[in-house]
Formats: sequence, C-alpha cells, structure tokens
Amino acid sequence: MQKKKIQVWDLPIRLFHWLLVLTITLSYISIEIGGAWIDWHARLGGFALGLIVFRILWGFAGNKQARFSQFMPTPARLLQYFKGEWQGIGHSPLGGLAVLALLGLILLIVLTGLFANDDVTLTGPLFPLVQQSVSDWMTGVHAIAFNGLLAVIALHLLAIAFYWVVKKNNLIHPMLTGKKEIAILSESALIHEEKAKPINFIISIAIALLVVWLIFGNVFVDLLSPEPAAKPPASQHQW
Amino acid sequence: MKKLSLLLTSLALLNASYAYAGPIEDQIKYRQSAYSFIGWNTNKIKSQLDKPETFSKEDVIAAANAIAAAANSGLGALYGPGTDQGEGWHKTRLKPEFFQKPEEAKKVAIAFNLEANEFAKVAETGDPVQIKAKFGKLTQSCKACHDSFREKDPK
Repeated sequence: MQKKKIQVWDLPIRLFHWLLVLTITLSYISIEIGGAWIDWHARLGGFALGLIVFRILWGFAGNKQARFSQFMPTPARLLQYFKGEWQGIGHSPLGGLAVLALLGLILLIVLTGLFANDDVTLTGPLFPLVQQSVSDWMTGVHAIAFNGLLAVIALHLLAIAFYWVVKKNNLIHPMLTGKKEIAILSESALIHEEKAKPINFIISIAIALLVVWLIFGNVFVDLLSPEPAAKPPASQHQW
Repeated sequence: MKKLSLLLTSLALLNASYAYAGPIEDQIKYRQSAYSFIGWNTNKIKSQLDKPETFSKEDVIAAANAIAAAANSGLGALYGPGTDQGEGWHKTRLKPEFFQKPEEAKKVAIAFNLEANEFAKVAETGDPVQIKAKFGKLTQSCKACHDSFREKDPK
C-alpha cells in the first residue's frame, strides 16, 4: 500500500484556526480582568469579527477542504458516516457539524457583542444604535452563547483526544503543518487538489477588513446617528 | 420615669439603626440614582480618554470629584436589610449574596470608595497617562462588585 503526504488544511485555514484560538482565549482573559484590559476585549472582538467574516467567505472561495459545500453535514452524508461508509479528506460530516456549530456560536457572540455593554464603561461599537434594554438583552445572549461555545469546544477537544488515543490518529499535527499522510489504495483515489486563486484570498481579506472598519471605525454609527449637539462655548458659569 | 426610659430606648434604637434612608423602595431609588450618576461621570471620563482631542483637565476633575462625592456620601446606608428585593426606579439587581457574605460585600464597597478617592487625586495631575491607569483601577472596582453582587440580567 502506497502512502502519500497531501495538503489537507491550507495556510489561511490554519492561520484562521490558531488566531481564533488565541483571540477567544485573550478575549476571555481581558473581560475577566477588566479595568485597563477592557479595551482589549473590544479590540479582540473586532479581530474576531474580521476572522469570522473571512472564514465565511473562504468557505465559498477557498481551497477544497475549506469549502462549506465540501463538508456540509447533509442527512445523507451523516447517515453514510454513521454506517462507517464515509471516506474523504478534510472535515468528516460529524466534524462539519462541529465546525458549523463553532462558527455559528462565534458569529452570534461577535454580533451580540457589537451591541453589548459591561455595565461599567465598555460598550460595543454599535451600542449607540439600540436602546439600553436591547443592549442588556444582547449582553445576556453574548454570555449564554459563550457558555455554549465552551461546551462545543470541550466536545471538540474530547473528539481530538478520542481520535488520538482510540483511533491512533493525530489531528493536531495536520492543523499545524497542513499535511497529512494518507494511504493510497488506488490511483483513482488520488486527490485532485483544487486550489483557490490568490485573488480569492485577497478579496476575502479585503471584505473582512472593510466590514471591521465600517463597524469599528464608527462609520455605521456616524451615518445612522444624529449630529451631536455642538459644545456650548466655555463660560464662567457652566451648568 | 417610665416615659423617660421609653424615650431613651427609642433614641438608642434610632441611633443604632441606619442613617436616614427611608423605606426599601426609597433606598433602592437613591441607590439606582447614585450609580446612574456615577456611571454618567465615568462615561464622560472614558470618552475623553478614548478621544485625546476632547480631553479637558477641568472636565475630568469635575467628573472625578462627582464620583468621589457620590462614593463618600455613605452609600452603605442604602443597603438596608431586604433591599435585595423590591423596586426603585426599576427592579433592583442586588443579589441576596450581598447580605449572605457581608465581609466580601464590605471589602468591595471599601475598595470602590478608596479607588474613587485615589482617582480624584490623580485627576488633579491632568496627566492622561496616569489618569488612564488609575481609571482602569477604578472601573475594576466597579466590576468587582458587579461580578459578585449584581444580577447579570435585569430582573
């Protein structure tokens, strides 16, 4: 049986994954400490927004294993997987389900965070567009969704441990190097790698940056909010 | 003689009770108003620190003094027994834990008071770098109490 090293995870996917791990960790630390660290929570939220927007675009325009169509956990695929008949490179149908759950929850956390407030001084960049009660509600969802995310991350780590210990399949290494050794049963099983064009990557990054800038650069808020009242001239008796 | 002892007893009782704060709903109202006022002043400082071009030493000092004055006004009197339940301007978010862990409650309350007074001193320097650092400490003391004793969601 012939073995061949192939690329499973492209560089954008790997960077996305590890930057997201870092971002989530630091966001959690910064909000827990609070005080002077709190500004970082907002900045990291902006970074997470950029990452998620990029990942969604890359799910349509990226390399083969990055595409949603490739790992969309349809009932037929899931059935196939549970019967043990699924074969493929990249996310399994069950793994695909986990990816969608993770991305969905993170997207929800990022979107609610845009409107949230911490009851001290931190407010999301879109906070001025909603009423306090709406913001409070969003803050609640933000926190609940984070607990949900922790649960899915725990499952994700358990699955990796299961693969490692029981199935003797190290999933971490390919996520670092991108490469995976697979057994080639026949020539026809050779993968025709579909490479995304560099322009796809550039456009995805550009759109992600644009979205972050529109929201975090206060472009949206300035467009939608009334002009702030001009400051009255300084006088001896201000009130 | 009986009348006198009654008078003395009631005087002693009055002395032992909380400083004037009124019925539960008034205490909650004063409390909510005080923290809302503190919040307004905190946000004024925050916005000036975020946009250095709007930074005004006088405004920051005024806001810092307002926070310190509110902190020094004896807010503890507004935390009478039973005030974890009830409505002021809106339903209170004070957790019953506040009364179950009086030592911890006292600690966060004193910490806020200290930070508010320290901050007012640092505000006098007019140095945005020092002010920002101290402001972080101040808001941290707000958060410490919220985390332990304030309901996350409005009830």
